[in-house]
Order: sequence, then C-alpha cells, then structure tokens
Amino acid sequence: MTEKSAYQPGASPGERCAIGISFGNSYSSIACTIDDAPVVIANEDGDRQIPTILSYVDGEEYTGNQAKAMLVRNPKNTLISFKDFLGQEFKSIDPTHCHAAAHPQDANGTVSFTIQDKAEGEPSTLSVKEASTRYLRRLLQSASDYLGKKVTSAVITVPTNFTEAQREALIQAANDAELEVLQLVNEPVASVLAYDARPEAKLEDKIVVVADLGGTRSDVAVVASRGGLYTILATAHDYEFAGVHLDNVLMDHFAKEFMKKNANVDPRSNARSLAKLKAESEAAKKALSIGTNASFSVESLAEGIDFQATINRLRYETIARKVFEGFNRLVDGVIKKAGLDVLDIDEVILSGGTSHTPRIAHNFRAIFPETTTILAPSTSPSAINPSELQSRGAALQASLIQEYESDDIEQSTHPAVTTVKHITNAIGVISLSEEGEETFTPVIAPETAVPARRMIHIAAPKEGGNVLVKVVEGNTHIKVTKPEPKPKENGKDSDEDSDDSDFDDSDEEEEEHREKVWKIGTTLAEAAVRDVKKGGKVEVTINVAGDLAVTITTREVGGKGGVRGTLKAP
Amino acid sequence: MAATTTITRPLPALAEGWSAEKDFKPLSVIAASAPRTIEPVGPHFLAHARRARHKRTFSEDDR
Ligand SMILES: Nc1ncnc2c1ncn2[C@@H]1O[C@H](COP(=O)(O)OP(=O)(O)OP(=O)(O)O)[C@@H](O)[C@H]1O
Ligand SMILES: [Mg+2]
Repeated sequence: MTEKSAYQPGASPGERCAIGISFGNSYSSIACTIDDAPVVIANEDGDRQIPTILSYVDGEEYTGNQAKAMLVRNPKNTLISFKDFLGQEFKSIDPTHCHAAAHPQDANGTVSFTIQDKAEGEPSTLSVKEASTRYLRRLLQSASDYLGKKVTSAVITVPTNFTEAQREALIQAANDAELEVLQLVNEPVASVLAYDARPEAKLEDKIVVVADLGGTRSDVAVVASRGGLYTILATAHDYEFAGVHLDNVLMDHFAKEFMKKNANVDPRSNARSLAKLKAESEAAKKALSIGTNASFSVESLAEGIDFQATINRLRYETIARKVFEGFNRLVDGVIKKAGLDVLDIDEVILSGGTSHTPRIAHNFRAIFPETTTILAPSTSPSAINPSELQSRGAALQASLIQEYESDDIEQSTHPAVTTVKHITNAIGVISLSEEGEETFTPVIAPETAVPARRMIHIAAPKEGGNVLVKVVEGNTHIKVTKPEPKPKENGKDSDEDSDDSDFDDSDEEEEEHREKVWKIGTTLAEAAVRDVKKGGKVEVTINVAGDLAVTITTREVGGKGGVRGTLKAP
Repeated sequence: MAATTTITRPLPALAEGWSAEKDFKPLSVIAASAPRTIEPVGPHFLAHARRARHKRTFSEDDR
C-alpha cells in the first residue's frame, strides 16, 4: 500500500482491534475472528447484510434497513449506491442507480449530494467521501458494540478494477472515521481465502473462478491458487446483469399483473409507488431463492389500491432468463480471456448476494464439467453464505496481519515482493501408463509463482532396480473426440438398444467428447536412482528459484543419499 | 509445502548404458515465464514475503 493521508489513525500493533469490512454499493458486511474463525457481525437491527444507505429525517441519521425503508417517503434525503463514486470525477460516474434517491451532483469535479441532514436550516452538500465516512462510522459502531471495545483497524475489500484514486479516497474516508486501514484486499481473493481457511480445506493447486454477483455489478475473476499463493489471471466486470436487473424483471412483472386489474394505473409512473414496487420485488426475489413460491403484497401500491400476488420459481426463472444468461456469458468470457477452458477450472465460488439464486448455480453446474466443484448454497451443502465471503476473508486477513507494524505490511505488499515470475509450463516427470507409454505426471503446475518447491512420491517399476527420473516440461490441451457416426436404426419398433432410451431425440447430434490431456514438452534433466528395492518408491523434489534456476533432488523413499543436480537460470 | 502426493503410475527403468556425472544430466533450462502479481493475502503469502524480505530459501525457512 502506497497510499498515505495526512491523518493516520490506528493503534500500536499490540493494541489494535481489527475487523474485516465488505463495503458494497448495495450492502455491506462486517466480520471479526473469534479463535481464528470468522464471525459475521449483526448490527443493532440484527442484520448481517447491511444496506449501504444513509437517510436523514428531522436531523436524525439512519443506516441499513431503517434507511432503506425511507426510500418510500424520504428519497431526496436518502443516499444509495454511492460507494463506487469514491475517487471518481463527476463526469465519469454512472448515476443510474441513484435515480429514486438523492442525486449525485458535481461540486468542483467531485461527486456530492445535497441533503437536509439537520433538523433546521439550510441543506448540506455532502461529498461522496464524507458520506462514506459517515456510513463507515456506523459500521464501526456496530462492530465496536458487538466486540465491547473500540474497533481501531480494518481490512476492507475492493473490486479488482478499483483505481488508485478510488483506493486512496476509500482509505481517506475510513481514516476520517478514525479507522486505520491495514490493507485493501481484492474482493475475489477475500472469497477464496474464506474458503481456504476452513479447517477441513486441503492445500491444493487449483484454478478457481470467483463469480461475484452483486446488486449493481457483477465481477468475475480467474484465480490460480498455487501452494496457497493467489494470482489473478483474468477479470471481467459487468454492469448490465446484476441483482437490480432481476428486481426490474419482477417489478415489470408485478406492475403488469397490477394493471390487468387496474387498467390505467401504472405503479411505475409514480415515484412512491415505484419505490414500494421495488422494495417488495426485491423481497420476493430473495424469497424465491429459498422457496418455490413467493408472495407479493403491498398496501396501497398505487392510487390507494392494495395489491397481492404470488409468483412461482419457474415463472421467475423464465422471465429472468436473459439476465441469467448474461451471467453465463460473463463467466465463459473471463475463462477465455485467461486463455483457459472450462475443463481447467477446479472450483467455482459463487459470491455476492445474487449468488443465492438457485438457477444461477444450476446454470453454472451445466456449463462446467462434473469435475468442477460449484460452491453455492443450492449446489453444495457445505457452501459458505455468498453474502458473507468477502467480509469473512477480510476478517481472516485482518487477524493475520493485525500484529504487524504498518511499515512491515507496506513493505510486504510492495510490488518488489508481490511481482514475481510465474512459470508458463508445468514441470513434471515421465511415468509409464499400463500400456508402457510415456505419460506426463505434473509436479509443479503451470502459472506457479516462483520461488516454488514441490515434492512427490512415485512408484518405481515393480521389480525395482535402476530407475530413470526424467524431468520434463508439460502442457495441457483439449482433446476433442467426435462421436462415431451412429448406425441407422432399422425400425421404430426395435426393442434392442434400450441403453440410449434417455436420448430419445435421435436427430440431435450426439455431443463431442472433450478432455484435457497432457502433452510432453522439453526434457529438462535426467537423473538415475539406483538399486531401488522391489515395490519401492522414489521421492522427487523440484525447487524453482526466483530466477528460474532449478534444483532437482531425488532418492529412494526411506533410502540414503540420492541424486541432486541443478539447472541454470535461463 | 502441501501434503506429499503419491503417484502409482511407475517411473521407467534406467536404460542399459545410461551414465552421467553424479547420475544427473542437465539438458535444458526453463525458458517460458511471465511476471505476474501474487495477491498479498493469506498465510502462505506471509511466509513468501518473509522469505523474500530476508532472502531466505525454503530449506532455510524450514529450519
Ligand atoms: N437470498 C437472496 N436471493 C437473491 N438475491 C439476493 C439474496 N440476498 C441478496 N440478494 C441480492 O444481492 C444483491 C446484493 O449483493 P451484495 O450483497 O453482494 O451487494 P454489493 O456487493 O453491495 O453489490 P454491488 O456493489 O454490486 O451493488 C442485491 O440485489 C440483493 O437483492
Ligand atoms: Mg460486491
């Protein structure tokens, strides 16, 4: 972190009380760790997903769901969807989501709001930074109340495309709320950490896609996880397909239903009716994530007319299909951008509130091969609440670093430490298939950051003896097998071939088979391990230094001595 | 380091007449790499940063 502001709050490392914060445009979440396990904190209303909203009524400040409720009767003094405006110039923001609330304005280039925040007198001009400070102050208060001591410090998650100016503005906003920012962490990485920190998690090299589907934006990242080190390979951002667009689909649906009974009254044409329609549509949407039916009920929706309706999940999934398909395309696109294939993806983490939606997880299940784990509430019983991943990850990181001096944190996050070489190809050894063919066995995965060290145990030939350890580079490619053209069926009544009865539309082409196969590349070195006993195993350790020099050591497992050799840096 | 992976598909036998100084034959070097940024997050990163800043190797770190 290179950002510095004039006022630097915080306590000495021994006295810090640190939390994790996910600060979204729509909702925020705060978490701490208790005995190293993350705990998401409920605010005074009992909410763990706290709407990122501030509202002022008669000089009184409201946040969270209390402020959200004010969108119906006090929208002008209610601030919503402002977080991404931090550190941006007025001319580059998209104010769409503020339409039914306080409008952002240009105050000498910075984004501001004019609101009546005092009981009497003139309205105030509030910069987005000041609004953020006020909101963060309330989050801190909730956390401090829960913990019984003053929170001094935090790790805050940010989108991967947050600019340097946005980061700086966020840090300043936090500092102004007397909060020391220990570190800003990329949102998808916080989510990966939340999963990897579970006690049952195994340390494995894997490629993870994090789909963060929020309220006003959807962000997807491809992350290589290598020995617990995370490298972002590609990211994509979308503002056309997110939670509010699902709200809009339901708003249109219920408005039309309402108009079937009240022909000339469109609840969308009146601000107050629209606000009620929106609030209840979002509630119905959330209910449809749990149940197969949701009710929609608003007193005096428009022109004093009450309205009640129900919707089932199937109907919802039909009318929202375009939005769901948008998520599929986004995920598909970012995998291509990373130069990968769905077959390369080991895990998909669904994060963000919209990820509660079962249809989205089921669609992803269908895009990816069976070998890919889809971590979402509806596809995996052990999934973590998608709305809590980022704050949990941030809290874990906060507990890891809270005892470090700020200078230490700054030095460790410096590009000199974080920017390192990553090997392009895998490094592995040659082993023999049952048919005696040479095959590639990976030891270090592609896209691994160096320095890196990995060790494997590998069987020697059954009869033992002198063994060759051939260290090679390898890479994967996708092998596509076209199905054998089907023999013509000779009659509809034939009762043979009942195996295929599932595929009754025989006109449809059978799907091609795609698999990932290793290709053997350059030989890096050969080593001999001699006199291995019958049924013995060989240990191979490959160590790649920061300059790509390689040290290979190999010996019989349990044996003495062994062979050690080095390859120069390229 | 992660738990040791064990592979059952066997290594080939050494060909008759194979020989090399100290039984090790260097043949090539790693040629393809790209600079990328690792995320400064998580316990394994902290270990990496500690090694990098103190210029320590994995085995020195183990001790
Ligand atoms: N159970 C649920 N089922 C479906 N959607 C949900 C559920 N819970 C929350 N959401 C939706 O998730 C969205 C909020 O996502 P999240 O909490 O990740 O917010 P965020 O990061 O602040 O969003 P952004 O910054 O994109 O506006 C909202 O549209 C909300 O309606
Ligand atoms: Mg978000």
